[in-house]
Amino acid sequence: MSNAIAITITPAARIGRILVYSTLILAACFYLLPLFVMLITSLKSLDEIRLGNLLALPDEVTFDAWQIAWSSACTGVTCDGLKPYFWNSVLIAVPSVFISTAMGAFNGYVMTKWRFRGSELFFGMLLIGTMIPFQVVLLPMAQTLGMLGLSGTIYGLILVHVVYGIAFTTLFFRNYYVSVPDELVRAAMIDGAGFFKIFWRIILPISIPIVVVSVIWQFTQIWNDFLFGVVYSSGDQQPLTVGLNNLVNTSTGVKQYNVDMAAAIIAALPTLLVYVVAGKYFVRGLTAGAVKG
Amino acid sequence: MNTLSINNIKKSYGKVDVLKGINIDIEAGQFLILVGPSGCGKSTLLNMIAGLETVTSGSIHIGDRDITKLPPKDRDIAMVFQSYALYPNMTVAQNISFGMEIRKIDKAERKATLDRVAGMLQIEPLLNRKPSQLSGGQRQRVAMGRALARDPSLFLFDEPLSNLDAKLRVEMRTEIKQLHQRMGTTIVYVTHDQIEAMTLGDRIAVMKDGEVQQFGSPREIYDNPANMFVAGFMGSPSMNFIPSKVVNESGKLGVRIEGGAGEFVLPLGSAEERLQSRVGSEIVLGLRPEQITQRVNEKMNGDNTRVATCLVDVIEPTGPDTLVFVRMNDRKVVCRVEPESAVDAGNNMELMIDVSKAVFFDSESGARI
Repeated sequence: MSNAIAITITPAARIGRILVYSTLILAACFYLLPLFVMLITSLKSLDEIRLGNLLALPDEVTFDAWQIAWSSACTGVTCDGLKPYFWNSVLIAVPSVFISTAMGAFNGYVMTKWRFRGSELFFGMLLIGTMIPFQVVLLPMAQTLGMLGLSGTIYGLILVHVVYGIAFTTLFFRNYYVSVPDELVRAAMIDGAGFFKIFWRIILPISIPIVVVSVIWQFTQIWNDFLFGVVYSSGDQQPLTVGLNNLVNTSTGVKQYNVDMAAAIIAALPTLLVYVVAGKYFVRGLTAGAVKG
Repeated sequence: MNTLSINNIKKSYGKVDVLKGINIDIEAGQFLILVGPSGCGKSTLLNMIAGLETVTSGSIHIGDRDITKLPPKDRDIAMVFQSYALYPNMTVAQNISFGMEIRKIDKAERKATLDRVAGMLQIEPLLNRKPSQLSGGQRQRVAMGRALARDPSLFLFDEPLSNLDAKLRVEMRTEIKQLHQRMGTTIVYVTHDQIEAMTLGDRIAVMKDGEVQQFGSPREIYDNPANMFVAGFMGSPSMNFIPSKVVNESGKLGVRIEGGAGEFVLPLGSAEERLQSRVGSEIVLGLRPEQITQRVNEKMNGDNTRVATCLVDVIEPTGPDTLVFVRMNDRKVVCRVEPESAVDAGNNMELMIDVSKAVFFDSESGARI
């Protein structure tokens, strides 16, 4: 698609080009400014924040605030920083993302390549699942978790995220597999492969783009989830978002803006990282099948 | 031996009957063509032989094995698909070996088979490539290689050439035929292309609306079509159908034709007896384009040929012959003449009509008389 076509740029076109780019740059600055302020604030000392300009670069770069936010800031009664919450979030997010993606892939495979009576209805019901707002399921889910004995635990949160995520991941995989020709499955059947072998050897290896989409989507959702985290967990089982909330809202003496900012960035870093590492697959996977060739 | 016999196979989806009782028997090593327009059920039938679709009633045997209810992997068949269906994540070598790997054939034998197949199809340099790095013709070869590696008792081809460009299609057609001559394995081949059907098949089943219209050798199908559908479907350009009246002209039967430059009566050749009862009624005369040529004096034969003058509408030179379009009884009729003797459009031309292979159909039912 990279057709290098030499075009003689007329003055009018050049003005248009300048307008487009300046608008884009302006918009980018607008969105980057808060991040910039967060970053420089987190690197300043508290004194400098109090005296200086919000947008000024730090006179002296210090990572003290990061240190405090990570390991010693107070979040309510305990003062261990975000570290324990961070690991809780990892323990919640990794299995939830893995399980929901795996189940989505499997569901998508069954619903496109091994259709059964009512599979379309089943898919329709799953679609509705993507439209249910979090708040609606809060109470019934709390009861369910209570009955299962999973209230207030990391396992409970994993279950909630998996259940909620399956609707989305199934949708992703189903739409991706619809464009995978059925003849591929038929050829494998004649070659002697069975249901699981076809999935494992043929379908899964060609699913990498959509796996990446599912992982990014689910990871972002689960890592950034606050509502389920704050409702269904307690004590030392709470995720990072809840920890961040507690840290910022704990008022003991002076408001430590630099620590708050550092904590917020720490909370956002993993999702940023996932996007940077896998971002190009994300766009590719979302648009897969949309255009032939 | 690996004969294939299909007995009264039916398939219905709910109330829709897709196949209405198909009976086909072929001998071991024969090349069977299922041909027909789209929607005639030929692919459904092939999928049923492959075990990819269930049979509503009837039975399928390979040799003396009843395979009607067996899963595909136990039928000892291999199939080449229209879209090739190569596994995109595997190299050519892995594609060819996948089936053997599933069947747990040991490594040394796998390697030997791979080498043999790759050699046969001349795809050795491609073995480490992925399907996406291959051209259409190469993919086609690999798909055949995957089937050959199985060494099955029955090969199934589902319109394997329809995704290739015209030139490659002709090349691969010859290659498939050579391959069949060398291997001698029984083949069932689905196509909608009547030229492929004629060139490849030992036996052709012409299908329409879930029924076999005619089953026979290419020659039989071409020279002796069972009805108007078969006659019109096979052959290119297709057979001319001329509605005409059977007349008794001084003791001899014939059909009356108006050719734009006056009327004439065509003799009936060998069909005279069969048409005895139809004197005075309308029938459809079927003449293939090559049966209407320029006048060739040596070929003139009192009972079977007749020279008639007709008005030429259009001419289409194809190279080896020129197609001359005239009108007979108000129907467009194609004649295949030598380029030198073709006249320009708008002129009259003397045409020699050979009725020795002419066929006659009932104008109501389309059945052969």
